[in-house]
Amino acid sequence: MWKIGKVAQREFLDTVKTRTFLLSLLLIPVLIVGIILLSRKMAQSEGGPRPALRVGLTSPAGELLSRITTAFAEYNRANPQTPLDLQLLSEGEDGTSPEQRGKDHLRQGKLEACIVLEGDLEAGQGTLQFYSYKAKASQIDALWTVERLLRDAVIDRRYQVRGIDPAMLAEIRSVPIRRVELGEERGREQVQSEGQRVARMMVPFAFMYLIFIGIVGMGQHMITSIIEEKNSRIIEMLLSSISPFQLMAGKILGLAGVGLTVMALWGSAAYGTATWQGIRIDIGPDLLAYGLAYYVLGFILFSAILAGVGSICNTVKETQSLMMPITLIFVIPLIAWPQLARDPNGDLARILTYVPLTTPMLMVLRLSSGPNLWWGEIAISFVVLVAGVLASIWAAAKIFRTGILLYGKRPGPREVLRWLREK
Amino acid sequence: MTYAIELREIRKSFGPVRAVDGLSLAVPRGAVYGFLGPNGAGKTTTLRMIMDIIRPDSGEIRLFSEPSSRSVRSRVGYMPEERGLYRKMTAVAVLRYFGSLKGMTAAQLSQCVPAWLERIDLTGYANKKVEELSRGMHQKLQFAATVINDPELVILDEPFSGLDPVNQDLLREIITTMRSQGRTVLFSTHGMHEAEQLCDFIVLINQGKVVVDGTLDQIRSRHESDTISIEIEGDGAFVGTLPQVAAVRPDGRRLDVTLHDGADPQELLRILVERSRVRAFEVKHPSLHEIFVRLVGGGHVEDR
Repeated sequence: MWKIGKVAQREFLDTVKTRTFLLSLLLIPVLIVGIILLSRKMAQSEGGPRPALRVGLTSPAGELLSRITTAFAEYNRANPQTPLDLQLLSEGEDGTSPEQRGKDHLRQGKLEACIVLEGDLEAGQGTLQFYSYKAKASQIDALWTVERLLRDAVIDRRYQVRGIDPAMLAEIRSVPIRRVELGEERGREQVQSEGQRVARMMVPFAFMYLIFIGIVGMGQHMITSIIEEKNSRIIEMLLSSISPFQLMAGKILGLAGVGLTVMALWGSAAYGTATWQGIRIDIGPDLLAYGLAYYVLGFILFSAILAGVGSICNTVKETQSLMMPITLIFVIPLIAWPQLARDPNGDLARILTYVPLTTPMLMVLRLSSGPNLWWGEIAISFVVLVAGVLASIWAAAKIFRTGILLYGKRPGPREVLRWLREK
Repeated sequence: MTYAIELREIRKSFGPVRAVDGLSLAVPRGAVYGFLGPNGAGKTTTLRMIMDIIRPDSGEIRLFSEPSSRSVRSRVGYMPEERGLYRKMTAVAVLRYFGSLKGMTAAQLSQCVPAWLERIDLTGYANKKVEELSRGMHQKLQFAATVINDPELVILDEPFSGLDPVNQDLLREIITTMRSQGRTVLFSTHGMHEAEQLCDFIVLINQGKVVVDGTLDQIRSRHESDTISIEIEGDGAFVGTLPQVAAVRPDGRRLDVTLHDGADPQELLRILVERSRVRAFEVKHPSLHEIFVRLVGGGHVEDR
């Protein structure tokens, strides 16, 4: 047993001490926090200065036109960095319609947008036709602003025509909503912020994603480590001191340790950031305990498969192409997340729960999605997972034992089946 | 006599290829045993089976009279032919790691590791990473990792290949010291020279079967050459007419005389002394090399 510990210790230190690993370990939380902060900053300001956006407009009737020009002028005064240049389109000398002239200018690059007012907008009919030509991604924001300004001007004008007081309307429409979450005891209540609501939705996903990274990401280290030992011919030196099973077990435990370290660091980084931003995340000790159990079992299952596959391959590339279909199974819950989040006890969630590979991800998602999970399902999921673990270890140990000493040509499936039947 | 290794009728096939075919061998404790054979004879497979790295299809293997090598693993040091080390570890770390896998305590390690580095001339490289060392240094380090815990039985697969003459001498000296300390050593080699110098016993295998097994003297006497090299004064033509003599071949100033089966070289010497002055008389001992080539024949040896 202590030999397994020695192997695990070496594997852990060897993985953790590499520079690339430390970098990725620190970089990703920094990146996540950075992105969150940056997106907040971005939301607050409209971005940097840009040249004036030229907008052509077919002139509408008097009152609406003055309302529109006022709106644009007000906007330009408030946002001098991102001006809008409103141009009224008139009929051409050769008799082309203002609409046609606007479109021509658009194609010639003299305008960035052309708006045609059709029908009696003030009366509540007609449309705002919005033409653009090869709009750049950087202009899309500004084009939305133009749309909003025009729409608001039309609505304002409609109020006026009908004699409705805009202030009164705003009063009518204003219904404040206060979202309050009850605490465990009477009298404990907490107002929910918008961030809190988003966090509610995201926590199960984040938890599942951590498990995914912990299993699949660490799997990459497993492959590299096995292939290194195989290619540098260390394996036989090792096998004279320890059994293949001890070697495999040590590796799995060592890398599971690395995975747990990574998950703990990233998890607490996310938790810390959320708390700092005033978002409360409910993760109880029972959920953490389940998460730990599911992760360790899931990682053992996956890395036993990897150990088996890795032992018959000679290069990392070869292993990865063989592992591709298995790795893809892990991606299914990530892609199907919206569906799973909406119905965490639905058919899809149930099916994926009982595929041993995805059991850990699904169970963590379901457990953190809500409390109403029948205990029987938890028990069955553990039975399924443990059965998968035992079967994969049994097969991997047989394949590992023979495969690890083979160099050169990769054995075919028939050959591998023969190893499995050997005593 | 107690044996360190006992093999009884072990067999191992890889698909259609019979790598080891009913091989039996007994290595007495305290002996240095040479394991010879052409490429593909089954040497490495046999050693791997002794170490329980692969399992025989049939037959029995005992180490120190124990049926499983598992329980006695820490008493055995094995240096495989396919050998490598973690490239990113330092020389000291490598020795400490392998030592700890053999069950050594930290206190034992801090004593043994520097001593072994000293012994294999790598003290100056103690904190260098393995990838910075030369191939010969790798091999010495691997050897030290194999014997770091001073095992009772040392099994070495081609330990001399890849070493320069100075390091070969160093290794030979270490093996000799081990023998004097009562350790058992089994090593495979292509170098007949090493085998002749070092071994108490030699086993020659070919195509998975034992061809010859015994002490060097036993093997030599069993394959005693019937050739005698003589040098006499005057005309030696009469030698060819003697009844004991089957053939005479001149070899420079000497004559290589081949006797009939059962003829006594001493009888020949007596006759020669009577009839002439004998300057030299030598019963030729075949070298291990000659025995090897004669027995294996070279013809049907396959390279794997």
